[in-house]
Amino acid sequence: MKNALRELRRRPGRFVPVTAALILLTVLLLFLGGLLDGLYIGATGALRAQRAAVVVYSADANDSIIRSRVNETTRAKIERTPGVTAVGGLGISLLGAKVPGETTLADAAVIGYQRPPTGVPAVPPPGDAWADRRLESFGVRVGQTLRLGPREVPIRVRGWVEDTNYLLQGALWVAPETWRGAQNASRPDAPFAPGEFQVVVADGPGDPAALARRIDRATGNETATLTKDQAVLASPGTRQQKSTFNGIIAVTFVVVGLVVALFFALLTLERSPIYGVLKAIGTTTRRLFAGVLVQALIVATAAFLVGGLVTLGLTSVLPARIPILLVGSRAITTFGGILLTAAIGGAISLRRIARIDPVAAIGTGT
Amino acid sequence: MSALQLDHVSKVYRSGDDDIVALDDANLTVATDEMIGLIGPSGSGKTTLISIAGGLLTPTEGTVLVGDENITDYDAKELTRFRGEQIGFVFQTVNVVPFLTARENLLVVGELSGGRAGRKQAATRADQLLDELGLGHRHDNLPRQLSGGERQRVAIGRALMNEPQLVLFDEPTSALDTHLGEQVMELIRSEVKGRGTAAVIVTHDARVTAYCDRVVTITDGRLAETATASA
Amino acid sequence: MFLALREITRSRTRFLLLGGAVGLLVFLIVFVQALTGALIRQFIGAIDHQSGTVLVYSADARKNLEGSRVPLDTVSAVAAVPGVADAGPLGEGTFSVQAGGALRDTVLFASVVGKPGAPTTVIRGRLPHADFEAVASDGNSDKGFRLGATVRVEHSSRPMRIVGIARDANYSVSPTLFTTFDTYQQVRKDANPAAVAVMPSAVAATTDPGVTPAEVRDRINRAVTGVEALTRDQAVAESPGVASVGESIGAIVLLCFFVVVVVAGLFFLILTVQKAQSLTLLRAIGVRAGALVRALLVQVVVVVLGGVVIGGLLGWLALNAAGNSLGARVEIGSLLQTGALVLGLSLVAALGAARRVLRIDPVRATVPGSLDP
Repeated sequence: MKNALRELRRRPGRFVPVTAALILLTVLLLFLGGLLDGLYIGATGALRAQRAAVVVYSADANDSIIRSRVNETTRAKIERTPGVTAVGGLGISLLGAKVPGETTLADAAVIGYQRPPTGVPAVPPPGDAWADRRLESFGVRVGQTLRLGPREVPIRVRGWVEDTNYLLQGALWVAPETWRGAQNASRPDAPFAPGEFQVVVADGPGDPAALARRIDRATGNETATLTKDQAVLASPGTRQQKSTFNGIIAVTFVVVGLVVALFFALLTLERSPIYGVLKAIGTTTRRLFAGVLVQALIVATAAFLVGGLVTLGLTSVLPARIPILLVGSRAITTFGGILLTAAIGGAISLRRIARIDPVAAIGTGT
Repeated sequence: MSALQLDHVSKVYRSGDDDIVALDDANLTVATDEMIGLIGPSGSGKTTLISIAGGLLTPTEGTVLVGDENITDYDAKELTRFRGEQIGFVFQTVNVVPFLTARENLLVVGELSGGRAGRKQAATRADQLLDELGLGHRHDNLPRQLSGGERQRVAIGRALMNEPQLVLFDEPTSALDTHLGEQVMELIRSEVKGRGTAAVIVTHDARVTAYCDRVVTITDGRLAETATASA
Repeated sequence: MFLALREITRSRTRFLLLGGAVGLLVFLIVFVQALTGALIRQFIGAIDHQSGTVLVYSADARKNLEGSRVPLDTVSAVAAVPGVADAGPLGEGTFSVQAGGALRDTVLFASVVGKPGAPTTVIRGRLPHADFEAVASDGNSDKGFRLGATVRVEHSSRPMRIVGIARDANYSVSPTLFTTFDTYQQVRKDANPAAVAVMPSAVAATTDPGVTPAEVRDRINRAVTGVEALTRDQAVAESPGVASVGESIGAIVLLCFFVVVVVAGLFFLILTVQKAQSLTLLRAIGVRAGALVRALLVQVVVVVLGGVVIGGLLGWLALNAAGNSLGARVEIGSLLQTGALVLGLSLVAALGAARRVLRIDPVRATVPGSLDP
């Protein structure tokens, strides 16, 4: 082990190629993970923040908030369902917002709510809004009056909230009538009557899936209720994005393993004579192999640290259009994955190390 | 015509402000089937001499003739061609390519320069040489599957492949035990004499000189001749 | 070839590992590109394959058709702009449609018969001539969108008959039905009886001969207030989902290329350094430097091409085996392009190794221990 560490210290140049390759792969992995997290978090914040066990859609909406419509009669049935302890309406309109002093429109999701989600204060007065911090990058400031949609419905920003966006658009949390006004002004062909919402969120103790089933039975199957987790996954594109990106990330981890295996195979080859001598003087295969593993893990760690810094630097210069978000938990799982695949890659050298014959290795060169 | 003629050959290296004279006004003639032993202490210039004779180095002064070819002013490309066609080399340590079989080690130069007809002839010649060298059953073995003596014989076979005028041996027995060393020297002598090829053998080993027609000593870059009886 | 192939066959593990790494990275590139291509086709195929060469959105729509609504008189305003050959309303909306025995998210694209906005890639059947006839986007027959089938928009008063099938005409990753504008208006009113008016989502326009779509776009933007005109290509490329997907995937693909090049370049450099003894021996016995460089480059070509083939095959298998609902496909042209780029860059990366080979001094063969690692 000590020799392995000494080699790393005294001949670092030997490990530069594999480290360089792993740095690039780390950047790729963190970038992929960051993109997936950015897309997921940016698209689903508004739903994840809901203090609710279930989200109730109209049966014909096919799990789409935008196409769902729940009227007061149906809502009353939901409220009367056994096990439901709290209910709140939710309406979301994706609109462009004119920001004072800015030439480009901000991508906004105007959300009318009754039951404050986690991190969002109580419903503001009509015409006011709690704005998600995402809108800051569009030049939005507290106190400003934004103008929403083609009819330029005015909405004043009261303060900030975090991680409550919908479909990568900055959330503006408003009173239900404010939302309805903005929605109906921009979509006169699909107006919402007073008391109507797109979906209703409901809370209650026990198993959310069971609650969902009870609600649909109580409404005579006029509704299609999903647990909150299901509703998050049902957000447009979320499920497909997750599976696609996770597939790509998994393949990238395999590449990490192959690259480590490749470079350490070359290193082992180069060190065969030295290993022969060490074996001849009593070093076990296990010790030599442990040395290789330690080197692989140290190299992977160094590559991750440098790759992490490079990724941080890169993401700071990327355009805001690219929804990348570096999250601590992702960094940890990526690090763990790199260590594991590096260890497996290093293990490829075990057979070669075991086969080194100390007698043959000490002989003169060919 | 002699196999090798060195006329007033010198090799001087510049090291900072100093000149290091590796070879000092060397004059040497080797007849077409003569076997010369070259003896000298470490740093005496033996390797420099055979490097110049073999077209690996160019002299600072003097003339180098191999057969009727004056290689003194050859450029790198011409020297490469010359080595491939006229010279055989057996080095002290690195002699065979580890990922080529015994046969392929003999064929390698021909493969990389000859045409199709040349390759066919080379293949036949390689097989013959390996048989003569007692490696008929080892054609398809890789060097790691051969003993030290067998590897040395492959190197000798490769050196003789292009039917050179001159074969240069650098300490051919240094890595071999006495018995094996004798076997290799007998083989070298019989091959060299049998083909009418000239040879220069650099050695520390006095027993090797017994196989040579003539022994030349070199000290501090200067040659002096010592007569010896052949085995 | 002699040296190059002999070494590969006798040191298989190393070259297989490299080929594997290259193959997987090429697979990633190919897979991601195929998926992106399909996603983009699925996102905006309907826009790309309709007849309007200029599309006019509401100014606040941010190039998103879903968020765009224009007053009906915008159509005549656009038609009056010099250079506009014809203009018509374009309706777009996502509905729940009963098809193939299930309720499906479906996009309706609507235009006036004979006006711009109709699908341009009809491969079977015909365009709609009457109300409640539709052309369906292809690739959705398993969902009930077949030629001759009848589907019904939820709450709609009438069923719709599919009279044609158009290629690559999905929108927003959903099956799409191209129908008449009157049908669209009726369907909207059926779904929302309280609807005051059904506005078009955009105006689709064609241009006079000799006038480019870009010129007409600029004229419309100057002449008509409250709108943002785009050429069709712009509408496709700058569609919100497409732009960010394209850039993100572009960054991923670039990184993959980087990794391939670095790994391949470093591998061959290390190998050259490790083979220094053999290479010096070969130079000493008369092998030309050029021959050794050629052998190196042959190895690069063999390994990288092998990796490209493996990567392409894996990509094809993955896309076919995964119940590929997006219609993602490995385009041979794209694969060849990727392969050529990877190969070219790897050859450039191998120049470091080639330089090492050229710097070999054959006289080192005579100096024992000088070539020890």
